[in-house]
Amino acid sequence: MAVRLQFENSNDIGVFANLTNSYCLTAFGGSENFYSVFEAELADHIPVVKACVAGTSLVGRMTVGNKNGLLMPNSTTDQELMHIKNSLPDNVVVQRIDERLSALGNCISCNDYVALIHPDIDRETEEIIADVLGVEVFRQTIAGNVLTGSYAAFTNQGGLVHPQTSIEDLDELASLLQVPLVAGTVNRGSDVIGAGLVANDWIAFCGLDTTATELQVVESVYKLRNAQPSQIVDEMRNSLIDSMM
Amino acid sequence: MPVYNFKKITVVPPAKDFIDIVLSKTQRKTPTVVHRGYAITRIRQFYMRKVKYTQTNWHEKLSTILEEFPRVDDVHPFYADLLNVLYDKDHYKLALGQLNMAKGLIDKVTKDYVRMMKYADSLYRCKTLKRAAMGRMCTIMKKQQASLAYLEQVRQHLARLPTIDPNTRTILVCGYPNVGKSSFMNKVTRADVEVQPYAFTTKSLFVGHTDYKYLRWQVIDTPGILDRPLEERNTIEMQSITALAHLRAVVLYIVDISEQCGFTIKQQSELFHSIKPLFANKPLMVVCNKTDIRKIEELSQEDQDRIQEMREVVSGGDEMEDGESSSMLTMSTLTEEGVSAVKTAACDKLLVSRVEMKLRSKGTAETLNRIHVAMPTPRDDAARPAVIPAGIEETRAAVAAGNRRQTEKDLQEQFGGAGVYSADFRKNYLLEDESWKYDIMPEILDGHNIMDFVDPDIEAKLAELEREEEELQAAAEAAGEVEMDDDDDDELDEEEKELVEKIRTRKAKIVANHREKKTVANNAPFVPRKFDRERKSNVSSMKEQLSSLGMDPSAAVERARSKPASRQERARSASRGRKRGREEEEGNEVEEMDGGRAMRSKSRGSQSRVREPTPSEGLSTVAQKAKAIKLSDKAQRSRNKMAKAGEGDRVIHTKMPKHLFSGKRGIGKTDRR
Repeated sequence: MAVRLQFENSNDIGVFANLTNSYCLTAFGGSENFYSVFEAELADHIPVVKACVAGTSLVGRMTVGNKNGLLMPNSTTDQELMHIKNSLPDNVVVQRIDERLSALGNCISCNDYVALIHPDIDRETEEIIADVLGVEVFRQTIAGNVLTGSYAAFTNQGGLVHPQTSIEDLDELASLLQVPLVAGTVNRGSDVIGAGLVANDWIAFCGLDTTATELQVVESVYKLRNAQPSQIVDEMRNSLIDSMM
Repeated sequence: MPVYNFKKITVVPPAKDFIDIVLSKTQRKTPTVVHRGYAITRIRQFYMRKVKYTQTNWHEKLSTILEEFPRVDDVHPFYADLLNVLYDKDHYKLALGQLNMAKGLIDKVTKDYVRMMKYADSLYRCKTLKRAAMGRMCTIMKKQQASLAYLEQVRQHLARLPTIDPNTRTILVCGYPNVGKSSFMNKVTRADVEVQPYAFTTKSLFVGHTDYKYLRWQVIDTPGILDRPLEERNTIEMQSITALAHLRAVVLYIVDISEQCGFTIKQQSELFHSIKPLFANKPLMVVCNKTDIRKIEELSQEDQDRIQEMREVVSGGDEMEDGESSSMLTMSTLTEEGVSAVKTAACDKLLVSRVEMKLRSKGTAETLNRIHVAMPTPRDDAARPAVIPAGIEETRAAVAAGNRRQTEKDLQEQFGGAGVYSADFRKNYLLEDESWKYDIMPEILDGHNIMDFVDPDIEAKLAELEREEEELQAAAEAAGEVEMDDDDDDELDEEEKELVEKIRTRKAKIVANHREKKTVANNAPFVPRKFDRERKSNVSSMKEQLSSLGMDPSAAVERARSKPASRQERARSASRGRKRGREEEEGNEVEEMDGGRAMRSKSRGSQSRVREPTPSEGLSTVAQKAKAIKLSDKAQRSRNKMAKAGEGDRVIHTKMPKHLFSGKRGIGKTDRR
């Protein structure tokens, strides 16, 4: 199931929200509209938390996490950290890390088992990521971009990466991550996948501009509502070619 | 790809209005006053400016018109042909050409007249030249009356044209008048086209949109076509022909098999064959409509043959397996039977042909990676299952059934809307004890950030420390009294203790005094006796202090005890030096207090004291006096209440007296009269 929404007229909802299998962080907004979309879909199963990081609402880009833990940048204040710790269940480890590349969400992308990180991240941080999130860590680039978190978004079921990733790179990444991968766009052609959508194993949220074709690709690759990634090459092939070229 | 939007062309005013607009703008935006007596260069410049300004305006306005109207040679051939059909290309180009020429003429006129104006030797000549220049410009534009009127009509018509994108996925519906093209359009889109039981209800192209396979499809409804040579076709039919000729779309040729439209199947089939060239290189489908009236099986053999013939044309000679279903369809727009089948078939057919064409073209390699699903090759035996909580489906079913949970947004709407409602962000805290949720915790306490000292293991650590200390103590006790005896060396005897105590007290005093001096004494005025609560500043303390400094206090004490100084002396001494003056005053204070009320100095504080009623001035009692004061106050008050202007009130006199500023003045004579 994929939902389209906006944060205060911005389609880059991945900037303002962070979704994992055990919790969801959203930004404080002028109204409750953005939060309530997540709340309506998720609050029965996992905590949905309004939070801010370092006084900004860029929750999705500053933090990274999965079902095991949450990493916050160095600039997080104590109060923000305490609020998040109080709101999340005890089995989620919340950790503030001293990393020079403080937009962790841009530099790291992960699911519950594997993480792709920016090649320049500290060795200590790499260890912390492996420990706190319980993942295997790989230093990778996506279509030549070092910001793995911005240009990829993957769950335990599948992943979407930068539209210009070559087929060889796709296959290599898929083998690393052990999930099916597709190169695609969100928000009517935006290549910043991580900023344009948030997804977990049973639901995805995209920006309001996302076209029907893009949305269908998202549903198929994340195996939402019993869709399968193979649909992209079978049923949707013609629509995709016609809409892309 | 260019987007064709003709809705934003600015209005083309009729020639007369156009002239008014430009001339009045010149009048408004250029200086209007000039005098005979000005230097001739100034006069020339004044008029040149007017002429040039008018010319710029004409130039700008004509340029916008020329730019905004689509150029027949630059737009998509579909639009070029449509412009030709609707407005006559020659006429259209001519009108725009005329305006372009007028623009050039105006520029030339201006150039000439500005040059002539350079030689004008008087205001009158300049003015005449300006008049002539403007007159000629207006005449030029007046001659464009017809072109302008025509272009305005074209503009209005263009703005009403449907926005057709010639490059997108398009379904084109065509056929004889009244065969059910518009009905089909109404069924598959929400365009709501007019449907009437007479021919040529649809007089122009109409556009609707429909969704299929996650894509958006443009459906174009065309006016009916009659079977006659191209030269004889009217404008309405020609629009259909234009669309058929230039749009890369799937063409639905609709055949009315009930023949209720007034044309036989034979005629419809003949039309099909005569416009066949237009269908070249396009996916084509023949759709038999109105099956609710007559089924295809009920047709005569001849008609069935004709339909079969069309079908062969569609399938391009070679029989396809699914030819029957894909290129020969039946539907009833009345009962909606087969309508969606037709739409699906048409869309699929177009999609396939478009994809084929696109894959054949260059530059597809970059996008091919996007229709590739990279499946992982297992690299180890680790299982990586999805983590989906139980009950997701149940919740979704409940939501679908209308059991929506109350969200923050609902609460927000309930309690005053966005900006008013303030959400409770502690509501969902997951804590060990529910009652902790709203506990107030300071961020900073005694200058320390509390979070720096928070440690989840603090209790355990404390217990550990206590245990350790107890152990140590126990060990010490076990070691016995021996050590206690050793301590005696450190003990002080009584005398020494007293001395230490004294030293400490003194030290504390010095520190306290110093601090007080630093904070209060430097900028505080001397403390009046009545605020000196502890009675620190008295003669005895002064005496003590002076003697402790090793000075003889007797002189100071005597001065303090003697008569108080007069006011002047006090003032002088105060100005001489703060420290000294203060000492003296302290002494005076003491004196006064000791001496009692009778010895009170008259020099002190009478000015700041509130008037105290004493019976005097012919009044016998204090009460009488008080009443008198009250009355005098009251008398004053009422006078103020009248709010009469007095000499203390602020007055603004007339700033520009009329008599000094009105009337005629000669040239350059601004002196006051």
